[in-house]
This record gives sequence, structure tokens and C-alpha cells, in this order.
Amino acid sequence: MPVSTCPTVALATGCPAGIGAELAAYVLSSSDLPANGRLIVFGDTRVLEKGAKALGVVPRAHILTKGETIPSAAGSYFVDLANLDPATIPVGTYSEGASAFAVETFSAAIDLGISGEADAVAWTPFNKACMRLTHPGYEDEIVFTAEKTGYKGAASEFNILPNLWNARVTSHVPISRVAALITFDAVMRSLRLTHQAMRESGFANPRIALAALNPHAGDGGNFGREEIDVLEPVAVAARKEGILCDGPFPSDTVFVRAQRGDYDAVLTMYHDQGQIAMKLIGFEAGVTLLGGFAFPLVTAAHGSAYDIAYKGVANPGAMMNAMAIAFRMADARKKAKAA
Amino acid sequence: MLTRPKPNHELPLAVSSGDPAGIGLDITLMAWLRRKDSPIPPFYLLGDIESLKARAELLGLDVPMKSVEAGDASRCFADALPVFDLGIHTEVTAGEASSGNAKAVIASIRQSVLDIREGKARAIVTNPIAKHVLYEAGFTHPGHTEFLAELASLWGRSPGSVGKDSGQYKPVMMLAGPDLRTVPVTVHVALSEAVTLLTTELIVETGRITASELVTKFGIVNPRLALTGLNPHAGERGSMGREDIDVIAPAIAELRALGIDAFGPMPADTLFHAAARTQYDVALCMYHDQALIPVKTIAFDETVNVTLGLPFVRTSPDHGTAFDLAGTGKARADSFCAALRLADIMSRGTQPVDRHGAD
Repeated sequence: MPVSTCPTVALATGCPAGIGAELAAYVLSSSDLPANGRLIVFGDTRVLEKGAKALGVVPRAHILTKGETIPSAAGSYFVDLANLDPATIPVGTYSEGASAFAVETFSAAIDLGISGEADAVAWTPFNKACMRLTHPGYEDEIVFTAEKTGYKGAASEFNILPNLWNARVTSHVPISRVAALITFDAVMRSLRLTHQAMRESGFANPRIALAALNPHAGDGGNFGREEIDVLEPVAVAARKEGILCDGPFPSDTVFVRAQRGDYDAVLTMYHDQGQIAMKLIGFEAGVTLLGGFAFPLVTAAHGSAYDIAYKGVANPGAMMNAMAIAFRMADARKKAKAA
Repeated sequence: MLTRPKPNHELPLAVSSGDPAGIGLDITLMAWLRRKDSPIPPFYLLGDIESLKARAELLGLDVPMKSVEAGDASRCFADALPVFDLGIHTEVTAGEASSGNAKAVIASIRQSVLDIREGKARAIVTNPIAKHVLYEAGFTHPGHTEFLAELASLWGRSPGSVGKDSGQYKPVMMLAGPDLRTVPVTVHVALSEAVTLLTTELIVETGRITASELVTKFGIVNPRLALTGLNPHAGERGSMGREDIDVIAPAIAELRALGIDAFGPMPADTLFHAAARTQYDVALCMYHDQALIPVKTIAFDETVNVTLGLPFVRTSPDHGTAFDLAGTGKARADSFCAALRLADIMSRGTQPVDRHGAD
């Protein structure tokens, strides 16, 4: 078992053909990381140096070789997997070299989460299509993590803006299947996950709004009964558990309420219900969190931005917000393990 | 009779009272008071002048009123709020829904449409009604819009209608904000039912009516219709639902065959940002909330509900009766004022202009 008492985040360098290296270099150069935190970055020093040079930053880390014991003290460590000479791959497009590098860094970071050495896992953006070149079954980060960890349960994706979280009960399923999946247990589970993840990331008692499934929240049962049969009982049960939960609210105004400051989070029932609003509110600058696994996984909501790779213009704001959430959650988990 | 017919744009807009216990009277009074500070087209209220006076007093608003018939409304609008008193007086208490008001609510809508039919008004802007109140009084129409569609039979049979409902006008709901127009193809049904109601035929009919009205009422030449996918990521080539391929894509092909500039199905979550919105004049959405979420997120207070497909122009504020706000002064008149302005624009009979030259 790990001996470090410091909240630990494992960070995988993302796609080396995109802005992954620049953002990893920025994170390692930042003075905004918590003083008691332990950051372990996986990559290749040559890739990191190329990113640092492009962005004009100076990363600070103890360099370790692959397999070397990672010190338990607070600080930043860079594990050099020595797995890619950046001169051998094209910038801004897919290549097997970039693909193999990213799959390996991500795997290494997840392994640290599995072993318990890392309390949270993060990555700078990957490119899914590039990942598939050497790992054909790569669907997305959730499926890959599930494969690696052997976790069979449902994972939840959270979309996070500075003052607004969004989680959804169903995601990549046909609309025709959504209503059948909106069950008491499924909604309750998402609600508990949201409540727990938000508490771990610093909300003392997050206020969560439930979005209705049907137009006008079902209009008293005229346009569907899920609000009456499922969502209202969920809200009652959740409040009994101490979760601050209101709704179900008509989904065309639930985000208006949250943006007004009435709620910290909206739990939506299906993909587009949350994504339409969040993307209009500015989610591209936000953070994505995967919950449900034994450890939280965090990244920037934006992609690997092939068009601006190594041009020194990558904006590290979303990635730094992701690191802040990763460290807060790592800290909460470390304290919970100690208790 | 040698009087020339009035140029259409001088005719007033007819405003139905809606449920007088709701905020309809409040926002009507507020809108008239705004006429000096912002462009508010002349309108008149069809309802009970005593109830309106009582509401003005309750709100502490100094609004002179004049009892008129439709024909005189425009002339006095600058100095007084014109009211066409329908002679149905009931004791109205702000905030308290009562089936006793139902007769007046229905009469106001019916007379507004009659005034348009008789050339005394240009368009109707409806205040919100509470359906359950009307049902208690024996109202049998599913909703406000269906009642208006029935009143459209005053114009005779619908010339463009086809199929089993030949002769009936098919109302199409549109949400119009300052930067975005959306049309839900399926409307007030459960989400699971929307999926089964969605057919190629329904999408084509809705798209055809929408395109035609954008030309005639909004003056847009060759309107561009973006169609959303039903499923997440528009189904991602069938991996998350087949309706995008089997139902929506054929509808787009049919619309294009009719000469309508339609495209899609587009993933709904990336269709509404500012850059994407420049690519179309209206987004045809597959279910209610897919259309409502983007317009309300972009412009909550300024969204207007428009009914296309009728032989007259109808707009309404995009909110309900808000009984809890009636008489408190907390109601906001922004959406109602936007509905008045849009009804004005839509009913001017503007000749279509090329949007590339107009914008």
C-alpha cells in the first residue's frame, strides 16, 4: 500500500500531436498547485520539453525513470516513459507513434489509480481517433478506464463550469430508450454520485436541481408520468438522506434557475438536455469529471486542438481548473481513507 | 362606400385578456406604459374594463383607459389604453383562478379573431390562459392554439392542406428569440410518445409550413432550415438510434425536392452556438425541449411564442398565467412586448427581401 500521506494526482500527458504536451508542461510550471500535493506526470522528457519550449514555460519536476520508486514527499514528479521522440511524428495529425504514446501514458496513470498510489487521475486532452490507431477498441475514456479497472458498473460523466455542474442519468443511448432507463434506482444513484463528487470537490452541501424528463415537467401527468412516478419520489427520498435536491423542473428553465444562482448543479435525464444548455453557457472552457470508478478521473472539456499544436497559444485555463478539482477530490479521499 | 381600406399597418393589434386572474392584465398595462420609451405598436385589449381598472389600481399604475371599438383603437392609443369592453363582468381576484372567468376568457379570444377577420385588427397577441380553469367550464379544445385553429375556419378551408385532414389549418409552434428561431416538430407529448409520433410526413409538413411562413411573414427569401437529429450526436451513423437515418434524413430529401433549403440531421448540442446560428434561419427540432432549451438559455425574457400555419398572425409571450405574481408588480412584460413587436413585423405584409441584402 502507498506510504504517502500527500493527496496524489497522476497526470497523463495527452496527445503529443495536439496541445497535450504544452498543457502538461504548463501544469508542471504552475505555482497554483497545492503545497501539500503530490503530482505524478507520465510522459517523455523530449515531448515535455517540446511543449514547454512552444508555450514558453519552465516545468519543474523530479525526473524519474520508468519503474523507479516514486518518493512519498509532496512535490511534482515526472516519470519518463522514454516512449516517443517527438521528431518522429507529424504535428496536428494522427500517427501510430502519437497513438501508442498516449495509450501508454494513460494506462500508466490509471495503474496508479488502481494501485491506490494516486487518489485521482487526470490527463491533458487525448484524440480518440488517434488512440484507435494502436488501440482499435478505444471508444472513449470511460470505456478504456472500465477495461483497465475491470469495473462493470455504470460510470457518470460530469460537465463542470466554475459555478455550475451538470450530470446526466443517461448519455449515449437512443432517445427511444431513455424513458425506460429513468428508474428510481438509476436517478437516485446519479444523484448520490453527484452529491458525493461535489462534496469531495469542495461544496459543503451542494444544491442540486432535477430536470424533468417531459415537456412542462409532464404538465401534471398530461405529457408523461415519469415526473410523478419516478422523479418526485426520488427528490423526496434524496432529501431524507440529506441531499439538497429540488425539482423536477421543466428542462427549458432549469438551467436558467441554476445560472441565476439558485442551484450548484443540474441533474439531467438525457444527453442533449444538458449538453445544449451547457455548450451555450460556455462549457468548452469547462472541466469533465468521470465518477463511479474507484478513483475520480478529470480533464479539460476541450479537445486536443490539432490546429494550434505547438503554436504557443493553447489556453491552460480549463486544464488548471481540472487540476484544482483533481487535487481537492484527492485531498478529500486521502482524508476519508485516513479516518 | 367610397372609403378606401386602411393600409394594413395602421390597424391595431388585438390583445386577448387571457386569464384575468393571471398576469395578463398586469403585463398589458405595463406594455402600454412603455410606449413612449420603446417601440410598442398600437394595440387594444379585449376584455372587461372594470377588471383592468381594478388591476391598475392594485398595481398603483396610472393608466388612462378608453372604451372603444376596434376601429378607433389606433387613434387613441397615444393617450389612453384602448379597451374593447365585451360586457362580461365578473369579480376577478388577482392570483385566484376561477372557472367563473372562463366565459370572458373564451369570448376575448373569439372576438379578437372576429376583429381580424372583419379587417379591424391586424393580428392577435394572446395573453396566457390556464387550461384547467377552462376545462372546468366545459372548454373542449386541447389548448389555446387548437381553439385558434378552429376559429380559422372563418377563413374557409385551408388551401394548402393535404391528406386526411384536408381543409383544416395545421398550426405550427415557433419560438422566436432575438438570435434564434426554433420549431418543435412534436410538441406537448411525453418524450417517449414524441419518438413514436415522429414521422417523415410530419417533419415534411412542419418544414413546408415553416418555410412558407418565413417567406411571407418574415420576408426571408429561400429560408434555410437546419434539422436536428433526434438522438445524441444525431445517432452517430445509427449507433445510437436509427430515426436520424430512417425518418429525418428522408424528410430532408423530400423538403429539398420541394425546393426548400433544408439540411441535417445535425447533432443538437452543437447547433446553437453563435457561429452555427449564422448558417440557418430556423432550426426544426424533433421534440419540445430540444427547441425550448436553446431559445430560453440564450434569451429567457425575450422569447416569443408564434403560431404559424394559420390564416392570421398570432404571437404570445412565452410564459404562463403566473397566478402567484398577478397583482404583485413582479411580473415582467419583456416577452409580451417582444410578442407585440413581432406580431407587428409579421403582419405588415412586408415584401420578401433577400436576407443577404437585408442583414
